[in-house]
Amino acid sequence: MVKLTPEEQQILDGGEGRLRQKALENVVRYAEVLGADSLCTVTKATVFCGRHQYLEVCGTEDFDTVFSQAQLGTDEIIPLGENSIAPCCQAQSCVSPCDRTTYQELSQSEDFFRLNRHYLDRAREAGVTIVGTCSPYLNGWIPIPGEHFVTTESGMTILGNSLWGACCNSDGIEAAFWSAICGRTPRWGKHTKEGRVGNVAVQVMAAPKTSMDWDILGKTIGDRLPSGAIPVLSGDFSGASFNNLRQFLTALAVSSNCELCHIPGITYDARTPEEAFAGRAPEHEITVGAAEMTATYGKICTPGEGPAGLVSLGCPHYDISQVKRVADLVKGRHVADGVTFQVWTTYPIRHMAEVNGYLQTIREAGGEIYTGTCPTTIGKDFLGQFPGMVFDSLKQSGSVRSSVSSPNYLTDMEQCIEAAMTGQWKEGYRWRIG
Amino acid sequence: MADRVIRGRGVIPGFVEGEALVCPASITGWGGIDPATGVIKDYDNPARGETIKDKILVIPGSKGSNGWSCYFSITRVSGAAPRGLIISNVDASCGVAAVGLGVPTAVDFPGEDNPCRVIRSGDRVALNGETGEVRILDKGGKA
Repeated sequence: MVKLTPEEQQILDGGEGRLRQKALENVVRYAEVLGADSLCTVTKATVFCGRHQYLEVCGTEDFDTVFSQAQLGTDEIIPLGENSIAPCCQAQSCVSPCDRTTYQELSQSEDFFRLNRHYLDRAREAGVTIVGTCSPYLNGWIPIPGEHFVTTESGMTILGNSLWGACCNSDGIEAAFWSAICGRTPRWGKHTKEGRVGNVAVQVMAAPKTSMDWDILGKTIGDRLPSGAIPVLSGDFSGASFNNLRQFLTALAVSSNCELCHIPGITYDARTPEEAFAGRAPEHEITVGAAEMTATYGKICTPGEGPAGLVSLGCPHYDISQVKRVADLVKGRHVADGVTFQVWTTYPIRHMAEVNGYLQTIREAGGEIYTGTCPTTIGKDFLGQFPGMVFDSLKQSGSVRSSVSSPNYLTDMEQCIEAAMTGQWKEGYRWRIG
Repeated sequence: MADRVIRGRGVIPGFVEGEALVCPASITGWGGIDPATGVIKDYDNPARGETIKDKILVIPGSKGSNGWSCYFSITRVSGAAPRGLIISNVDASCGVAAVGLGVPTAVDFPGEDNPCRVIRSGDRVALNGETGEVRILDKGGKA
């Protein structure tokens, strides 16, 4: 039985309208499924707006029908009206299937671009700030320790829990809307102290240095974690940086259902392994090293050599230092004929790249900086045209792999750029642990 | 021989019988299933090519992106939904999917009754979403 406050009961009784009532009904039912006995107040949300590909199964373009069926889980049409977002909650949009201004270059029709824009406009009118990124922290959306947030981005979930000590479960796309509308989420899992205690000891025998080292380490650990694991890492993490950690944590999250990872001395909750385990013995112990990481890479990077039709950088969306690094590496060079060379970031960072001349440099090299989406979110109609694809992100590579079967190569930024310049994937571009 | 019975926590009431589809390594949500047909597309999943449609889906928990529950919930709209859910240990993504699908669901089984070990794909099972009881009626599944 979920205990409600008088304010919550008033919402559940319909005192704030049918939409907020339905959202809270779903949150309460969700709390019952989890076994939570109360709710907590959500003050930050990222929500998945836009006309995403999976919504096609609704068989209609009508926003309110699709929103009700897909997000509220009901055939009753409940409009998402103006100012529907809970006043306590700062809501921003995650990626949508379209760039902010460009559609033809991304193999999309004007009709689809306009339909997506209409969906974003409806969300904006409801109170969602349209930001269009998987990395909201790059624009200052940063939850503080103990703050309860919801997000549609797994990388944001694990980053917020681990690095910043904020509280979030990987609820999902529907529940992020429910919480943003009614301002509540079940007090369960990572929203409780008990739900944040480490239970798996992971000894890392390699010393990850490059971004790709961290990316591969994330999947290597994630593949070995039991469901519901909260790993506590030990090893040499002197190569940690913010960008390496977000690469690692994102890869870890998408390879498992891990929402929180303790790296004592680096992450927020615990200074020591003992503190991370709350004095208990770990339930499982795992050891990974260079051999396991090499085996992981061997399974996910297509073998052999071949054409590199698409080279895509920036998953999670790049920060300005990464965009600068790309500009520095491509300056005075040009990608091979037939290569589509893309860099993905947020709107403000793209503007900063323009101000600093990085956009111009990347364009002169035959590339472009896009915002608001990413290749896998655009979908297979775009991806299917390329004879081979090269990514600098395990998450992007893996998401794409389930949709299109063309050769799929994974390596670090520098080697991705070499592939773009030659138009070929070569053996020498393969990742090897530093 | 008596039916094998395991018991978890019933969270979405209702009674359903059907063929089990067991995915001990779970299924990736985003990009991992076709929402129109329920067919598993997950590139490294042993059950790739099978469909969740009309099955009693048995998984340890979720896996992958926060875009997990939506790919399962939307099968309610497309007609490709599973008949029931059996989840070894509930997690947030699975909780949302259970609410979105609204099909009988049992979660949180004791270790010795881990449904991903006790049930095989192809077994015929009866699931009571009120009591959390799962009865294995026919061990026809692949060992």
